[in-house]
Amino acid sequence: MTAEIRGLRPSQPTGPRPALHEGTRPPGVFTRHDIHGDTVLDADVVVIGSGAGGATMAAELAEAGFDVVVIEEGSYYQTRDFTADTSAMVRQLYRDGGATMALGNPPIMYQEGRAVGGSTVINGGMSWRTPDKVLERWDREAGLAGIAKDLEPYFERVERRIHVATMDAEAIGNDNLLLKKGADAKGWKIIGNLRNQNHCVGSNRCAFGCPTGAKQSALVSYVPRALHYGARIYADVRVNQITRHGKRATGVTGTVRGSGHHLTVRAKLVVSAAGAIHTPALLVRSGFRTPSGQLGHNLSMHPNVKVVAIFDEQVTGWKGAHQAFQVREFQDQGLLFASVNMPPSVLAMSFPHRGAQLGQLMDQYDHMMLAGMLCEDTHTGRVRTIDGKPQAFYQLADVDAANLKRGVSLLSEMLFAAGAKRILLPFHGAADLHGPDDARRLLDQHIPSSGWEVVTVHMMGTARMGSDRSRAVTDGFGLVHDADRLMVADASLFPTPIGVNPMETIMALATRAAGHIIDNAPRFLQ
Amino acid sequence: MAEATYQHAAPLPPPPSLGSLGRVVLRSLVPVICPPEAHHLADAIVAHMALTIGASPPLVRHALGAGLITYDLGAIPFHRRRAHKLDPARAETYFASWEHGPTPLHVQFARGINQLMSLSCYEQPAMLERVGYAPGPWIAEVTRKRLTVFAAEIRKQDTQILAPDPLRPGVRRKERV
Repeated sequence: MTAEIRGLRPSQPTGPRPALHEGTRPPGVFTRHDIHGDTVLDADVVVIGSGAGGATMAAELAEAGFDVVVIEEGSYYQTRDFTADTSAMVRQLYRDGGATMALGNPPIMYQEGRAVGGSTVINGGMSWRTPDKVLERWDREAGLAGIAKDLEPYFERVERRIHVATMDAEAIGNDNLLLKKGADAKGWKIIGNLRNQNHCVGSNRCAFGCPTGAKQSALVSYVPRALHYGARIYADVRVNQITRHGKRATGVTGTVRGSGHHLTVRAKLVVSAAGAIHTPALLVRSGFRTPSGQLGHNLSMHPNVKVVAIFDEQVTGWKGAHQAFQVREFQDQGLLFASVNMPPSVLAMSFPHRGAQLGQLMDQYDHMMLAGMLCEDTHTGRVRTIDGKPQAFYQLADVDAANLKRGVSLLSEMLFAAGAKRILLPFHGAADLHGPDDARRLLDQHIPSSGWEVVTVHMMGTARMGSDRSRAVTDGFGLVHDADRLMVADASLFPTPIGVNPMETIMALATRAAGHIIDNAPRFLQ
Repeated sequence: MAEATYQHAAPLPPPPSLGSLGRVVLRSLVPVICPPEAHHLADAIVAHMALTIGASPPLVRHALGAGLITYDLGAIPFHRRRAHKLDPARAETYFASWEHGPTPLHVQFARGINQLMSLSCYEQPAMLERVGYAPGPWIAEVTRKRLTVFAAEIRKQDTQILAPDPLRPGVRRKERV
């Protein structure tokens, strides 16, 4: 393999490229245009999904000498494909155009990435270790003895690989500075956000594919690494089933999107990293049953709501880094606040206004600051497999709704302290807030759950790990109980919600699981 | 294997999403939902909505299609004509009647159409310009800055990504062509 193919040429006529492989077709990536008929492949390991779990697993195993094939339903894009056309990016990079929904009252919109690199291509890049109190709970409740100490070196490894760092000061935009101003005025704890970025310059397009290559998503970190060490990635292929012989997984069968050709991979080990919605459905439709009966259960979602604050001063939130800070004052109560700028179209979509009213409101776009909050949920939902497809059901619990409402009140108070003049709420029919007293009064108001606008990007727990096979779907490394050669490597594994952004936890668990496979290679390679 | 220039293929086309009636009904809703300054963009807004709906899950696509027909025909008992033929005042009254009742399905449909059309409206270049959103030049500017100012750090990270760092000693080495 030459240095040129690795994308490591020290100089290019047009200047340094913004990411590995940029502008070249990396060896080992195959798309629907490369598969001209039904195809059968052999590999040591087949990995389903190329996001935080799948790409990490593929890179670690490929480096150790395993022959790895990754199957990805989405297409292969490069940094230069990520444009300012928001809707086009959503259609290309999000599953079902971002219109996926967990049924309940209120329904909860959730988003998943569908591209090589998975959801890491469209996330905000927040990179946090699993909080100690969560790992202690996993130790205590899931029987994962010593997991906190065990994960430590894997967190370090992941952080090095994806370049976890706080933001350069000059990349921080007005929206984030206002968030900090509000937190400082209230005396609340606010910290610089850790993100997987290498000198992010603040295009604030994280959710639509980083157009500068600064975000070190799996697409520009673990995927090139996996390819470099010989892994093969088949994009545009939807896995229909995990094939099996009795309880032993033997590979996968899939369909090439666009052409309908079939792709079969025969492998000694199958790793599902399709995310907490699709992993349980894939296992169920492949005929795997677990003794716990918990497959698809325990769905946690970290419900998110947002408020829009309007300031007299120009905010121009689209210039500057995404979520440069997090307000951690209420983390112990399961609440995190951050500034989350969105393009005009996405913001307009969230308003109940229409006609001239919508126009008048949107004319103030440059004075708006969008702030959101993450709530660590206490109740769980479920993914059911209907006609082979997953459908999430999730009922926002009263206690979590109350916590969210309290969070909206606190966040609004903070934004008024930063100088906001008016705040629009995530509740249909709710009056706008015009001062901190309005924000405090919110706590006494009854808000029907049908009027809530709740979204999420953190789905977890539907194949939870644990030592007790009567309560957990997999063991502590993700190997499915009562199945052979079948592993899970995504957020499905989380025994509980973690209260922070899950990417780094997924990557660390996948790295640890890869180590387990490497240590026990004879068992898996026979 | 020789290095080949990467040429990305066009994205997969979305499945057909809207019939002609659906487009007509949506077009009639542009003056109801979009701000006056966007009314002349009706065709572009509806075309954009068709793309968005095409990317949605099949269930959503079918529900929206059925909802649009129901919405259109549902005006007849009240206004003696289909929704897409109502004058502006009646079109406004009729849409508002769906927004506020009589069943949660009516409310959800009106809310969904409002959301989709607002999205498509503010994806139009003229509307983006109106609100002062111009990310293209900004992205170009900051990308250039990053590649110039931080070139050394970028190369260092690229090297780090590929550098050997075995988690465990190699299990078995293989020769790949």
